[in-house]
Amino acid sequence: MASVALKSFVGLRQSSPEKHHSSITVLSKPLPSNRLRYRRLNVVAGKSSPKITGRNLRVAVIGGGPAGGAAAETLAKGGIETILIERKMDNAKPCGGAIPLCMVGEFDLPLDIIDRRVTKMKMISPSNVAVDIGRTLKPHEYIGMVRREILDAYLRERAAGAGATIINGLFVKMDKPTDKFAPYVIHYNEYDGKVGSAGKKVTMEVDAIIGADGANSRVAKSIDAGDYEYAIAFQERIKIPDDKMQYYEDLAEMYVGDDVSPDFYGWVFPKCDHVAVGTGTVTHKPDIKKFQLATRLRARDKILGGKIIRVEAHPIPEHPRPRRLSNRVALVGDAAGYVTKCSGEGIYFAAKSGRMCAEAIVEGSVNGTRMVDEADLRNYLKKWDKTYWPTYKVLDILQKVFYRSNPAREAFVEMCADEYVQKMTFDSYLYKTVVPGSPLEDLKLAVNTIGSLVRANALRKKMAKI
Amino acid sequence: MSSSMAFFSSTTPHLPSFSSSSKTHFPINPFLSLKTQRHLFVSVRATENGSGAAIALEVKKDSEVAEEGSNGVPVAAAVEELGVKFEDPKWVSGTWDLKQFQKGGATDWDAVIDAEVKRRKWLEDNPESSNNDFPVVFYTSIIPWWAWMKRFHLPEAELLNGRAAMVGFFMAYFVDSLTGVGLVDQMGNFFCKTLLFVAVAGVLFIRKNEDIDTLKKLIDETTFYDKQWQATWQDEKKE
Repeated sequence: MASVALKSFVGLRQSSPEKHHSSITVLSKPLPSNRLRYRRLNVVAGKSSPKITGRNLRVAVIGGGPAGGAAAETLAKGGIETILIERKMDNAKPCGGAIPLCMVGEFDLPLDIIDRRVTKMKMISPSNVAVDIGRTLKPHEYIGMVRREILDAYLRERAAGAGATIINGLFVKMDKPTDKFAPYVIHYNEYDGKVGSAGKKVTMEVDAIIGADGANSRVAKSIDAGDYEYAIAFQERIKIPDDKMQYYEDLAEMYVGDDVSPDFYGWVFPKCDHVAVGTGTVTHKPDIKKFQLATRLRARDKILGGKIIRVEAHPIPEHPRPRRLSNRVALVGDAAGYVTKCSGEGIYFAAKSGRMCAEAIVEGSVNGTRMVDEADLRNYLKKWDKTYWPTYKVLDILQKVFYRSNPAREAFVEMCADEYVQKMTFDSYLYKTVVPGSPLEDLKLAVNTIGSLVRANALRKKMAKI
Repeated sequence: MSSSMAFFSSTTPHLPSFSSSSKTHFPINPFLSLKTQRHLFVSVRATENGSGAAIALEVKKDSEVAEEGSNGVPVAAAVEELGVKFEDPKWVSGTWDLKQFQKGGATDWDAVIDAEVKRRKWLEDNPESSNNDFPVVFYTSIIPWWAWMKRFHLPEAELLNGRAAMVGFFMAYFVDSLTGVGLVDQMGNFFCKTLLFVAVAGVLFIRKNEDIDTLKKLIDETTFYDKQWQATWQDEKKE
């Protein structure tokens, strides 16, 4: 159908009046030139999809976290009939809770959402060499620590304000469309506020679905998106005495070592009035409790006298699912697997991918007036991969090189003492762009890195002989 | 499931002793007893007595466990008290006191390296808490580059050069005996230069038998992440 449309457009230029008339009916809107710039001729914008009459495009966003909230807001602002289905409105998600500076600006977050501004970090090596990083931060730069229940609720409220319908319910399954432009039918249980009730079964017809329902996404299962490797992050919230809390006022700590985690790091992050001490692993999940004990031991002197007020664990995807999109269903956020390696950061990427996917739908449907198809949603994937692939790849390389073994971690911490490294790291973290620094400094950095790695490995060889 | 049951029956003589020993542990701390066993037995136990609650924590995704047993317990008590810390007369305020490593008027860097190796080995076996009042400020970069060279690079370089020389001599003789081309003429030939390059690279990168597997794994690793990201585009090409 698409290639026919293309041919008739060309025919339009040189055609006789009869041909002219027939091509007008096929293309009711002139194709702008950039739409023709596609890799394959049979992938074309939804401009050839039928115009929807009498109503706007309906899109369901499953999941009301940062990804769902951002997607719903962008869809609603774009004039699309949006419903957002969230199963637990007051969900206090187990989460590190760190957001980069650019998220505050890009998503217009009010500053009172941020509990704490972290401006210093301490990296601690396996042999307890401690390095302070953050000297290079400018006064207005910080890492924001938020409470997920507050952030998620705020984004959902904004989506509601823009015109989205927020529904408290649990998505159960979806019926795939029988026809090319037939609607999807989603089945969900709507909760009516009664404690313990299973909810009322509701079905609804929608034209497109955004799966923002997190690491155990049901939407992903429905579209056979495939599985990913995931890390288990285990965290204990500990309330420590005020004088010890003073130390963590604006400082977060990262502990690296085989005792703390064989492929990740242990952390102490300050929260609103307590600290979160945790660790994670992909390859040694059964030993997570052992790693947690080791993390607590390494931070022992600094959290002495603290009381554990909550224990939580959650999965963190390690890489995107094999299929992030199927027909008119797209995955965003943790459901798609957009968590970076090395730092395990996911909130910003969830919100941004939700927004990008929604923007692609708004654009492909011309503000809800036309039906979308898979090609429009693939635009979101294309844009996402192009924009953030360098970031993900660099972090993957860093993880592979520096989280490999204790000598590598020692080298990592040594490198962090360097000011150039600190500046590069923070710039890329806070603004989410891989900035090429000066080549001379990069060369010096490369030489120093290799030197550190060689030294640490040499020491390890000697250690093995003892 | 059936394989684990077969495992269970095949190790029946062992299992009763396990279960009797673990029964004493179980009431105290279910997690502790599971940790001390091998992962295999953990899965058998899960199928056997259904006390998979604890394992379910490990395996179940997205679990938010309410505090059990560690509710309100002060952190210090929950962590075993490890009284032993790393102590050494030459380790002063978080770094090696170079004045104590003097030998004949100059610092004995080899002894510093040895001391650091011992310290790291100790810490690997007995991890310590990091303390702000006694920070560790020793960086290996204070040891000068020539000390590292002399100690680590030179012996290895001697070994590798020796290997390269032996391989080179034998290959030169072999090629000469087969083709009659002398050493000087071999150097002018492209094929021989390629062989030389392969020999040098081989000696450099494959130092132990395990290195062949390591290199293969490394090559896979460099492209694995890319493949995972490209997976969603494979769908499009198939359509």
